[in-house]
Amino acid sequence: MKPRTATLLCAALLAAAPVHAEHASPAELANNTAAPLVAGREYMVLANHPNNLSVIDLADNTVLKTCALPDAYGPGLLQISPDHRQAWLLNNRFGSIYGVELDSCNVIFSANMSLAADERTKSVLSLAISPDGKEIYTVQNPSRIYVDRYEVQQPRLAVYDTASGLDAKPVRTFPMPRQLSVMQTGADGTLYVAGPDVYKVDVKTGKYEVAMPILNWNRPGYGAPDVLNAWPVQTITREFAFLYTAPKFKDDKQDIASADFVWGIMSIDLRTGAVSVADFAPLTEVYFTGIRSPKNPNHLFTVLNVLRKYDIKEQKLLASADVGHAYYQASVNHDGSRVYLSGTLHDIAVFDAETLEKITTIPLPGGDQATNTAQVFIR
Amino acid sequence: MKHLKALNQKARLLDQAVAEDQVEEVIAMSAVAGCTATVDPGWEVDAFGGVAGLCQPMEADLYGCADPCWWPAQVPDTMMTYPDWSKDAPSAKENWRNLDNVFPKDAL
Repeated sequence: MKPRTATLLCAALLAAAPVHAEHASPAELANNTAAPLVAGREYMVLANHPNNLSVIDLADNTVLKTCALPDAYGPGLLQISPDHRQAWLLNNRFGSIYGVELDSCNVIFSANMSLAADERTKSVLSLAISPDGKEIYTVQNPSRIYVDRYEVQQPRLAVYDTASGLDAKPVRTFPMPRQLSVMQTGADGTLYVAGPDVYKVDVKTGKYEVAMPILNWNRPGYGAPDVLNAWPVQTITREFAFLYTAPKFKDDKQDIASADFVWGIMSIDLRTGAVSVADFAPLTEVYFTGIRSPKNPNHLFTVLNVLRKYDIKEQKLLASADVGHAYYQASVNHDGSRVYLSGTLHDIAVFDAETLEKITTIPLPGGDQATNTAQVFIR
Repeated sequence: MKHLKALNQKARLLDQAVAEDQVEEVIAMSAVAGCTATVDPGWEVDAFGGVAGLCQPMEADLYGCADPCWWPAQVPDTMMTYPDWSKDAPSAKENWRNLDNVFPKDAL
């Protein structure tokens, strides 16, 4: 990667006033980089093809600004800094990390994760920021490239100082197990990393242990669960949550043919480290994500081809909505009044959280979101 | 495995792993791991053997599979092998005519 593009992006800044989606062409939106965010307002930030970062004002569900990102897109996974001023992205085909000032669109940090000329390193959806905003964490998967073969190397936890600027190098690295992906940090600075199980990692020493078993949960009466989590949402309820499916056996014979398959949610409370596991529905359809309502954490919204609202304790379906096309990720706003669907194509669908009636669709400048991660926050 | 015959190098390695009791080193799909030979249903058929659970329309899922190298046999992977495959088609739904077939090269 070349020394990065803060200069180029600064040159592209236009001091335009905020432009809202229904009044502006995609070109105008893409140029509206200098619109500052306003203290106290609620926003959603996400990235999409070809390589954009957009800020959406959730007060009126319009695109406030769109920043052009350096290098290449993919996956557009981002985390918001604790002061809500920066977006930190895993991008460039899963090979680089960037820090972007949301007010200016300036790139303030970049790091190519391949640390040697004969090394190719990818991070599989693995990015988190410390509670004080001073460090970035990622699990990197390096391969050594020889003339005649590739050689898989030990994965490593890489810790970056967020003040390192462009072309940054890790300040600490530690060996890690294989198959690690999404991560979040707890209030005490503990790093939680998902893989076959969720590990809690001491970011000073690299020591890790299982914080929440998944594949090895040994839950009486249940078989091993299956989990898909590619969306490390910084939830308003401050939890690191995973939807699971699992066989629930009729008796001690553990006959898989007669077992009931169930949906459930397992989570780690990022404030306390407490773990909770709860079934909420029979397995009859596929969801990619689920998120609790901050207004009533017993209410859960799930989505893929349909949006559902469940009462977890009662294991009861409360409401449903057709969504038009598949969306990967469900988000909620801070007062729990609206549900936002993102991922896949280039729009955001907005629903009333009480009734699941469609409110509006927000078109995004640019192309598909694919497996991005959207975040909601109040500046 | 008695009904299956290994035909290529990867399959023979799998046979070898079974013979050496190393199957535990190959953990079934429990976490995202790009460019691996995932065997979970999802592209051609859903988890129930039908198609209703597939992402709808398929264009909605196309870059969600191409970008993370999810099913590299079914969808060109833009992470590693075909990075420019979608450069003329930022929207799969609107620009799909610009997406072409890909052909493996002999040399790395």
